[in-house]
Amino acid sequence: MSSPLDDPDGNWWDRKVNRRETIWLGLSAGWAVSLFGWMLGWTEFGDQNNIGQNYEVSPERYQEKVSAYKDAAGTLAVDGEDYLVPDGEDVYVGAFQWGFDGLPVVVRPGETYKVHLGTYDVQHGFSARNESNLSQQISLQMIPGYEWVLEMSWDDPGTYQVVCNEFCGNGHRSMHGTFLVADHDAVETGADAGEGGDGQSEASGPYGGWLTSDETGGAAGNFESVVDETGSSSVTVEVGADGNGGPFAYAPPAVTVDQGTTVTFDWISTGHNVVVEDAPDGSDWSGVESLEGDGYTHEHTFDEPGVYKYYCDPHLRNGMKGVVEVV
Amino acid sequence: MFGFSTYEYDSDGFRECGVTGLRIHRSAEDMVKLYGLTAIVALVVGGLFAIAVAMTRWEAIGMLDPGRFYKYLSMHAWNLLIFWMVFMEIAILYVGGPFVLGRRLSLPSLAKVGYGLMLLGAVGVNVAIFVTSAPNNVPLLTSYVPLPSSWQFYLFAIVFLLGAVVAALPFFATIWWERQDNPGKTLPLVAFGAFVTSIIALEALLGGLITYVPTLAWRVGVLESLDPVWYRQMYWIVGHGTQQINLVAMIVIWYFLTHVLAGAEVASQKVSRIAFVMYLFFINLGAAHHLMSDPAVSAGWRLWNTSYSAYGAVVASMIHAFAIPAGLEAGRRAKGKGGGLFGWLWSSPWDDPGYSATILSIVLFGFLGGITGVMMGQMQLNMTWHNTLAVPGHFHATVVLGTTLAFMGLGYYVLRLVFGRDWILKPLARIQPYLYAGAMALVCLMMMYLGVLFGVPRRHPSVMDIPGTEFSFEAAQPFFAVFGVSAVLAIVGGALFALIAVGTLLFGDRFSVDTARVGDVDRAAADGGDEDDAVHEQSMRGTFVLTLVFLATFVVLTALNWYLLSNTWQIGA
Repeated sequence: MSSPLDDPDGNWWDRKVNRRETIWLGLSAGWAVSLFGWMLGWTEFGDQNNIGQNYEVSPERYQEKVSAYKDAAGTLAVDGEDYLVPDGEDVYVGAFQWGFDGLPVVVRPGETYKVHLGTYDVQHGFSARNESNLSQQISLQMIPGYEWVLEMSWDDPGTYQVVCNEFCGNGHRSMHGTFLVADHDAVETGADAGEGGDGQSEASGPYGGWLTSDETGGAAGNFESVVDETGSSSVTVEVGADGNGGPFAYAPPAVTVDQGTTVTFDWISTGHNVVVEDAPDGSDWSGVESLEGDGYTHEHTFDEPGVYKYYCDPHLRNGMKGVVEVV
Repeated sequence: MFGFSTYEYDSDGFRECGVTGLRIHRSAEDMVKLYGLTAIVALVVGGLFAIAVAMTRWEAIGMLDPGRFYKYLSMHAWNLLIFWMVFMEIAILYVGGPFVLGRRLSLPSLAKVGYGLMLLGAVGVNVAIFVTSAPNNVPLLTSYVPLPSSWQFYLFAIVFLLGAVVAALPFFATIWWERQDNPGKTLPLVAFGAFVTSIIALEALLGGLITYVPTLAWRVGVLESLDPVWYRQMYWIVGHGTQQINLVAMIVIWYFLTHVLAGAEVASQKVSRIAFVMYLFFINLGAAHHLMSDPAVSAGWRLWNTSYSAYGAVVASMIHAFAIPAGLEAGRRAKGKGGGLFGWLWSSPWDDPGYSATILSIVLFGFLGGITGVMMGQMQLNMTWHNTLAVPGHFHATVVLGTTLAFMGLGYYVLRLVFGRDWILKPLARIQPYLYAGAMALVCLMMMYLGVLFGVPRRHPSVMDIPGTEFSFEAAQPFFAVFGVSAVLAIVGGALFALIAVGTLLFGDRFSVDTARVGDVDRAAADGGDEDDAVHEQSMRGTFVLTLVFLATFVVLTALNWYLLSNTWQIGA
């Protein structure tokens, strides 16, 4: 008999192979061929193929494409949430640290869309599922420098939830977006959509439009009116409150305080900073440059009167902006 | 070196093993002990981090905050997937070469240099990950560009890989000198398998150097940028290549232990050797099955690549899937241990932890690890598996239920036959493989269900609590509960092995083949006899039934997965 520890004597190559082993070899080879044939065949008769056009596009250029798409898109309010309505068959999703630009979006059931996937910074994962049937789920990789366009169409109406499933840094767990598959009345899109009643007028809000315009970053959607805290001895601004499609808001975004008031910036979620965009001459406020998390606080006593504009670096494009006005 | 052993060498430095009959030189044996013990240390360190990782993903416990989760996950991954595996595999090369061939280890000083570099690299990577702070990120396992990790991390990874290359050289030299001294002889199957392992290892390690050296250059600013698509392709040469080393090393151990412990013979030298050679040719481009859901890689190339691996490497694995139980069946039938369809299997030494670990490794690797690997390597099916928790489900089935369990089985016999010590806590040792395998199998199954049926993402600390939204994966909570409890049991099973191993080294009774029985067959009868006592004439019908059950399971699971895919929305032209 033949031990695996001894060198095999004689002409071991020509020894007969057991009949059943031979049959098994044939079955294995046949199964391998079947697996290959099925994959190939599915590209013809199957409805799910991770095949689409690829383009080499820099992250900066891709972000511009997504911006142009958002400008041309209309808006539909559903249950208090604003959804983008694509102008045409293209849908753009731009993943970034840490969110999905372009979401939420509403698409019509049964129609075919060209879904563009890309990222503005590092690798992210586009992991999408039907909220009412979690096993209807797929994942696709997003890699900076590449734009992937896949045709998609949805038959099942409902809300689809998107998370990131490629580790992309500290805010990875907070990356979330949705898209809605629903029929709806026609909504105006295209070059006219930007001037529709969605308040995105240029430089027409207070503070030179810092909060209301999307000239620098996105518009601060959570801004309604300036909160008057004159007379208060201590004022708190929450950092990373819910707003702008995620935990992307300062609350309140605009506040007036007396000279000499100490304002406490209180982080209630992770991955934010406070970058000073503009401050009066003589101010010594430098904000908080590092990204901090839940529980972090920063205090500053505002002595110099004037308007202090600030924003959160990773979430500027979501509209995470704020103002402290010292009177 | 190392006073733990009870064996003595003759004046030339050789000793003969009373169980395997192998002629062993101390130059090789000292290195096997050194690398093997270091591997166990890595196993313990990685296992400790496993507690934190599992108890965080089981959010009912939620042990770690997100920041620490990613760090502890990186430590768990590097210590188990890389350091435990590669240190053990160098030890296995030194067994498969010098031990089996009865030779001294050639170039023994290189073995020590390699060890030093590997140790430095391993400690360096551990420290680099642990002290990571902004602007660096922890690497997890894959350190995908352009998310940067610290330059020290890339540097020590390079040092470790270089060390492994150096440590492999004495094995090559030993084989080289064997061929010079005995040009007409054929390498025994175990040595041949070890040789194939070492070539795959070299390819993987060189791929790692091609990946990490430019990445280090990018990180310190020498290279301005690094294409992330290029990085992914290059990374997976070492990323998957190392898994192929694990696979082939595991298979070598399967042949070795089924023979020593239960009298298995080689069903067909030709078929088994062809299967090993197929691994060599077909694994090279197999890395691309990690890129099935990537942009920038053409469909044609993805389809060709994932089936090239299907044609080659999977068929090779299916060959061993038959050959190893067939060898066990034929060998045992020839020694009078057969009886009906499965008598050869029922009568085998199930209370020997070295044996039970081996058989459990074969069965669970095949059914849980192998099948899922092939399925998620199919281009379109990959969409439902990619980056979900099902991916760790798959590779815990292959690397833990397969390779680690086999390495544990080998470990039990290294304790007896290299260190000459018998196991402490024998009743616990007997059940340890079953506890570990059973609990871990449940862990793997849960991770696969969570990933494919619920789309739960991998590398994520808080799917029950996603900031800024009401949506969560709450529906999956019951599966997480089973996962959590099973993980605790699996960790206990792993800790038990470490306890028995270390305890045996320190306190075990002297093991002697005169006083203790190894396996249940008479070894003298095993190695005598005519080569023409045709092994192929022994019935392999029991094996045939088992492999048909395996194939049926394979077909059914594949069909179910394609059905699930067909229920998602329309994607692609």
